[in-house]
Amino acid sequence: MSSALNIVMPGERITAVEDVAKGKRIILGPGLRRVNDTVVASKAGPLKHREPNTFWVDNYQRRYVPARGDLIIGIIKAKSGDVYRVDIGSADSASISYLAFEAATKKNRPDLNPGDLLYARVLNASPDIEPELVCVNSNGKRGKLGLLQDGFFFKCSLNLGRLLLRENCPALKALTEKLPYEIAVGVNGRIWVKAHSAAETVGLANAILSLEQAGHSEIDKVCDNLGDVLQA
Amino acid sequence: MFMNANLFEPGKSKPERVFVQSAAKQNTRFDGRKTSEFRDVKLNFGADWGTVTVSMGDTMVLAQVSYDIGTPTSARPNEGTLHLNVDIKGVSYLDEAQATYDQRSLTLNSLLERTFRSSRCLDLESLCIAVEQHVWCVRVDINVLNHDGNLYDASTIATLAALMHFRRPDVSYIDDQIRTYSERERELMPLLFLHYPVSVTYCVYKSTPQPLVDPTLLEENAADSIIVLSFNSYQELCTLNAGGTAPTNVRTIMQCAHSAARRSKALVQFVRKALELDMEKRQQSKHVAGLIDLLDGSLSKFSFKRLMEQEQPMEVDAVQPSQASRAESEQKPEKMTIEEQSQAGQKPAVKDDSSWLPEGNDVTQEQQNTEQIVKENAAKNTKATKSKPNRGKNKAGKKQAAAKKQNQSDSEEEATHII
Repeated sequence: MSSALNIVMPGERITAVEDVAKGKRIILGPGLRRVNDTVVASKAGPLKHREPNTFWVDNYQRRYVPARGDLIIGIIKAKSGDVYRVDIGSADSASISYLAFEAATKKNRPDLNPGDLLYARVLNASPDIEPELVCVNSNGKRGKLGLLQDGFFFKCSLNLGRLLLRENCPALKALTEKLPYEIAVGVNGRIWVKAHSAAETVGLANAILSLEQAGHSEIDKVCDNLGDVLQA
Repeated sequence: MFMNANLFEPGKSKPERVFVQSAAKQNTRFDGRKTSEFRDVKLNFGADWGTVTVSMGDTMVLAQVSYDIGTPTSARPNEGTLHLNVDIKGVSYLDEAQATYDQRSLTLNSLLERTFRSSRCLDLESLCIAVEQHVWCVRVDINVLNHDGNLYDASTIATLAALMHFRRPDVSYIDDQIRTYSERERELMPLLFLHYPVSVTYCVYKSTPQPLVDPTLLEENAADSIIVLSFNSYQELCTLNAGGTAPTNVRTIMQCAHSAARRSKALVQFVRKALELDMEKRQQSKHVAGLIDLLDGSLSKFSFKRLMEQEQPMEVDAVQPSQASRAESEQKPEKMTIEEQSQAGQKPAVKDDSSWLPEGNDVTQEQQNTEQIVKENAAKNTKATKSKPNRGKNKAGKKQAAAKKQNQSDSEEEATHII
């Protein structure tokens, strides 16, 4: 990943990417768009590049756009017919079938109520139809998916969600040294945490939220602060 | 960074509610405040007279006063009018359900109407130019810019500050002709107040008897009931808005009322002080903040914590000169003792506040000859039976308030006064 900070604005023609494209086949990620023979940015933010040939714009966003295979946290909004309506922070609400849970049958329905939190996977997402969720994998097992109980839940930007989901994320690692906790992060910018006590959970949630503004260099500082808070 | 920028508001999911409930029980709040701790109130005056922004944490409200010459209503031909208009559309993205948004703005509107109009805090007769023909119509537009809980307090403070800051031009009425004097000809005139009301909001949870003051949106949404009390600077109750499902007994409401009365007084003092500083600023330099400066964080704002810190020692001196606050200074000795008691520690203070309660309950129980009723029922009955016979007393009671407060067994009477 290139570290040079190159901010692009929507509508800007990005010749740097076009130059690379002359030599080899490239992949345009989110925020970049091909218009005839030119590459144009459709979102504002730093232009990112990963070897060998992927480009994308890492813009700050809070509105989730569903994509197939994403792990997300949703809130049950209502029961309707044989599906639950789930709010996943996208423009449209998603649906999940009664049968999309482990060991669920027509007779044995899962007991979910409005307000419950669900950790689920997006089964299909297209601009024209309602996104559909599942809480089982292809073998019919739930794995880590399903109802999230107790704990605390809050919303953040999509960027922070992605930051935490990155492989060996320094923040979560540093927090682990301070206290034991459970966490579920949805790419839709929703985070569920659970620690032993309310005070610990509050501290943890605040520490994670403060990462929103912090750069990578400040992560250690935030985590140290958390330790002080918990001891006090 | 605003936590509520997503479609679904905080505090709507079950884990959040359960968590806030249990945290309230353990005296923990998400932003690290104590149950009885307020967020800092920041006040900012705009270039125009009567333009104010108030922010409490992430909550931000803009109030703007405008005026017009119109005709009075036939019912009150010698009074000007005060119109309050709440616009909550700025945060309508908060919930997709139209119902919530409508209900929210209706509640807010009715609270403001009752606090400022029904309590007759403005001397509307002074706004009359010619009886039955011309009066000043004062209009306050309240714009909610961001909602992180406690819109009630933010908007009442903003409205009060805007009305106090507002200046209208002088007019004369000769031979059926209105003449409006410009600022150069005659000095602008402030509005005349009879009293200064401000509201204080509490959240009540079923899990704990201790109410949370100045709730954030998360706490507000997770709350079982919300109590809004408006007091004026003379510690008279103007509005009581108690809704929701949590069983609230008289003890809780009284406890809230006591601290709300103190808080309101401090808030009014804060607004006065901020106004004074603003006047100084205006006299010194021509440059005053525009709208962008108003909303921007860069401008130095009048912060409640900072201003009132200095205020504490000179509180007595500052208050006494004003003629209107005579009643206040009479109450002073008694109130100081309450404050001392509450400073001595939370538990004793709570006990002290409620020491009258068992008596109160006994009285009502005797009156009704009912036994074995649960405490909550008792509380409800207290309200129901006492409110009517004492209504006449209430009006007279206001003036006697100072006298009443002097003896220690006052609280019971005060309860009837408030309820």
